Amino acid sequence: MKKIRLSILIAMVAAFTACEDAIDINVKKGTSYPVLDAWITTEPGVQKIKFTKSVPYTDQAPAPVIDDARITLIDETANKSYLFAFANGVYSYNPGDNETLGVIGHAYRLRIEYNTEVFEAIDTIKRITPIDSISYKYEKQGESFVDKDGYVAKFHAIDIKGGVDYYWMRSYRNDLQHKVGDAFSIDGYFDQSVKDGSAFILPIQEAVTDFDKPFQKGEKVIVKLRSLTSQSHFFLTQVDNQLNSGGLFAKVLENVKCNAINVTAGGGKQRLLGWFGTSAVSSKERVIE
Amino acid sequence: MKTKLFMLLGVCLLLIQVRHACAQQKYTVSGYVKDQQNGESLIGISVSKAGTSLGTVTNEYGFYSLTLPAGDHEIQFSYIGYAPIKMSVSLKSNKNLDIKMEKSSSQLSTVTVTGNKQEKAVNTLTTSLNRLDIAQMKKMPTFMGEVDVLRSIQTLPGVNTVGEGANGFNVRGGAADENLILLDEAPVYNSTHMMGFFSVFNPDAVKSINLLKGGFPAEYGGRTSSVLDIRMKDGNNQKFNVNGGISNVFSRLSLEGPIKKDESSFILAARRSYIDILMKPFLKGDMKDTKLNFYDLTGKVNFKLNKNNTLFASGYLGRDVFGFGTRINMNWGNKTATVRWNHVFTNRTFLNLTTFYSNYDYSLKFNNESAKGAGEQNQSYDWTSNIINYGVKPAFTFYINTQNSLHFGLQGIYYTFKPGTGTGVEGNETSVQQLTQQHGLEAAAYLDHEWKPNDKLGIQYGVRLSNYQYLGKGTAYYYNDTTAGIRKTLVGTKEYGANELIKAYSYLEPRITARYALTPDHAIKASYARTTQYMHQLSNTASPTPLDIWTPSTNNIQPQVADQYTVGYVYDAPSGIFEISAEAFYKKMEHQLDYIDNANLELNQQIEADLLQSHSRSYGLEVMARKDIGRTTGWVSYTLSRSERQTNGISLNEWFLNRYDRTHNLNLVITHELNKRTSLSANWVYASGTPGTFADSRLEFQDWDIPYNSTDKRNNYRLPAFHRLDMSLTLKGKQLRRWKGEWVFSLYNVYGRRNAYTIYFKQNDDDPSKKEAVRLSIIGSIIPGITYNFKF
Repeated sequence: MKKIRLSILIAMVAAFTACEDAIDINVKKGTSYPVLDAWITTEPGVQKIKFTKSVPYTDQAPAPVIDDARITLIDETANKSYLFAFANGVYSYNPGDNETLGVIGHAYRLRIEYNTEVFEAIDTIKRITPIDSISYKYEKQGESFVDKDGYVAKFHAIDIKGGVDYYWMRSYRNDLQHKVGDAFSIDGYFDQSVKDGSAFILPIQEAVTDFDKPFQKGEKVIVKLRSLTSQSHFFLTQVDNQLNSGGLFAKVLENVKCNAINVTAGGGKQRLLGWFGTSAVSSKERVIE
Repeated sequence: MKTKLFMLLGVCLLLIQVRHACAQQKYTVSGYVKDQQNGESLIGISVSKAGTSLGTVTNEYGFYSLTLPAGDHEIQFSYIGYAPIKMSVSLKSNKNLDIKMEKSSSQLSTVTVTGNKQEKAVNTLTTSLNRLDIAQMKKMPTFMGEVDVLRSIQTLPGVNTVGEGANGFNVRGGAADENLILLDEAPVYNSTHMMGFFSVFNPDAVKSINLLKGGFPAEYGGRTSSVLDIRMKDGNNQKFNVNGGISNVFSRLSLEGPIKKDESSFILAARRSYIDILMKPFLKGDMKDTKLNFYDLTGKVNFKLNKNNTLFASGYLGRDVFGFGTRINMNWGNKTATVRWNHVFTNRTFLNLTTFYSNYDYSLKFNNESAKGAGEQNQSYDWTSNIINYGVKPAFTFYINTQNSLHFGLQGIYYTFKPGTGTGVEGNETSVQQLTQQHGLEAAAYLDHEWKPNDKLGIQYGVRLSNYQYLGKGTAYYYNDTTAGIRKTLVGTKEYGANELIKAYSYLEPRITARYALTPDHAIKASYARTTQYMHQLSNTASPTPLDIWTPSTNNIQPQVADQYTVGYVYDAPSGIFEISAEAFYKKMEHQLDYIDNANLELNQQIEADLLQSHSRSYGLEVMARKDIGRTTGWVSYTLSRSERQTNGISLNEWFLNRYDRTHNLNLVITHELNKRTSLSANWVYASGTPGTFADSRLEFQDWDIPYNSTDKRNNYRLPAFHRLDMSLTLKGKQLRRWKGEWVFSLYNVYGRRNAYTIYFKQNDDDPSKKEAVRLSIIGSIIPGITYNFKF
């Protein structure tokens, strides 16, 4: 709700007289912290973890990679552990081409040993619902919300009945290198205890499409729906707020907190940023014809 | 506590009676002062014995009461812009004297006023008071041609906003929700249309505004920072009048006239914006139903029942409507209603009994009708919220003699909060998410003694006893106090029945102001006031949004308490050509609301788990020079101030600047009458940039660049300074006997400055690999406006 509401308010003001422009500001260089980007899924093939350093916000170069950490994933349920090896800028583990590492219902612990300190974070892979279909409709600029003529695509899925399910939808254009939109949901809705076992609501379905740049004929719409734990959902919605916090009703910049805890024997000093999350994934794709 | 207060009142009255009995024979002259032309009651008119410092001013209803020794007196009535009147009165008994004053054609009066002008700041007891009447506001440059109450007060010292287009204003380092905004005594919860661009008050229906920033008389309470007291016109009781204006943004029309000449009148004023109607031909398809407008309707009637009784009824209804296609419809607005009864018990005792109703609500509706594919179900979502108040306030003034008067009364407000109800519909299935309603009762008793022992000294001191009860029917939530800054965990809930007490708070609020005249032209003033506030607006954005809800004090949210100290100096140049005033203040505020990082303020039943309460302080120096007479009029105001807070759990528990802190704030307002029909006005504002929290780092995570502030300190940078020049030109047409018209051409932001409202950090929309600091300017260019105003 928050996102629609804010974007509408911003749009209204923008329509009025507002203008946005990039400016140069003088911000003191901040402390650089290690950043964990680990998301283990049930998708077959290689699983990758990135471990970088935070950089000044407007530094255009990619963040420097930390290559000397030791990262181990522990499947607490199956009592197995996987060492992620560093190569080509990422830490990875390959269970085999059609094999999967992540298992629904299993609890995982990620252990990072870096600079004599040890960090650990935990998460669990929750159940996921299938994406039934992707539909689309041609919309004209000026007659709809789209900024130019094109196709507005939606995904269709039904929330799993019973229990609280948290979801993260991410869509792509043509391939996985071109991310389009993200949406976060609880039971197919924005908040808890409103719905259960029903279809995802429209604003979440439509988040597949970037209304500024709707899909065009021949393009492929790719949608991935990931299951989340409550803590991962909370973290991601905070991230989403920080990324979309602009406009007339801009919120204060608030730091997102990491779930990795420093467990160094005798106490550690270093702080880790980022997140360790796990998901089961359903995917669907469709070419606009 | 209450009995003590009444005992105190009794003792005071007794003492004064005793003093009175010993004095020589005195009689009272009392009555109403009205405008000759339109019968409007005149507020703040100086009523004095010519050549002396004995005198008083008319109250908010134009009533005065002056007690003088028996004998012959010359009484003069004077006010800026009106021809003074001198009346010879022979006092052998109490006398009733109603006066009609005529607007002077020139700014300079022909009759010399001798003795004190009681209404001048150098002679009044109040500190921290700014008064503007509608004529002064009309002279100022406008935004899109519209005279605006809230924009006008932002040029006064001690008042600022977080930026143009901000919904709300900040007084002496207080938050926007700490201003008590009263429209004919009913509280208004959202003071702006279009989310901050225009104020909700129709200038055609406004008579005067008083802004009190400190030194509050005991009569006022319920908010800690200021009282903006807006009084509506009564309506012309002499002849029927039509006022109107047509501009490029919206139109106004007001009708006023006598119901029975001299005894009763009405005013009805309406406005509507029409951007959406002008846009309509350019919209197609689903967007054809786009709505973007606001309207308001203001009305008032008054009846003089007899010499001693007058009845007023006024109402306001305003609405903002935004709709995008058929899919999204949103609207919000205030409704207020006030009924007042003025009763003169004796010619020294005046009662005003006010009862009021105020309602602020919003509604958001979404549906999928036009986006629905074949065979898909209907989906819709409605979200509503409101706050309703019912209030009653009997207020008595007892004019004992020229040295003493007493103000006392009672106040009660019953609140109902409906924080939010969300209704989702999907096909045949409806789901409702409703937050528990909340109820509160705020009551107060007050007594103020105004004592002017001689020409030099004046003291007004009093006390306000306020009590607040958080009532059922409802659920009280009890939380564990964990580490500050982290969401509190629920330990239990308790259900309460209707009107059952959940939690009560009482405060004794002492108030005192004093004035000492060094010479007839120079005075020094000082005041202290404690104020409490039981209502809080939940807002963690740069400025409050129309959708930010209000919450009462509860078992988890303590009332806000502020203590403010001021000292001031006033110089009134001989013959009143200009006035210079300076005031310093220090304000300490407790329990202002703050929020944990990533708090959830929307449709959250356990919102109290995300709230923090802070310690705040602000201090500053305000200087103002104003010139009200002559062909060139205007003022210069400058404020040097600081506003900061400390909240456990935020910003490393250190003190940090409030979002609305501005070190310097300078305003110049000048109007020059070129000739009888042409006048030119300009205003220039310069203010230090407001603080902002800037990201010094980014985290690469899942193809996002997350902004991060590695210092963990809030508001650690400042936005660039704000400055802007506005100008306007007023051309009056031939002032025919019946039809009077004028053109107002205005330029807002003359040199097109892009003042930063916020700065935030994001990936470039077109090239996400590019990371930028982005400045949002609400007004990014020069904005012209044309208005044609007419009157017949």
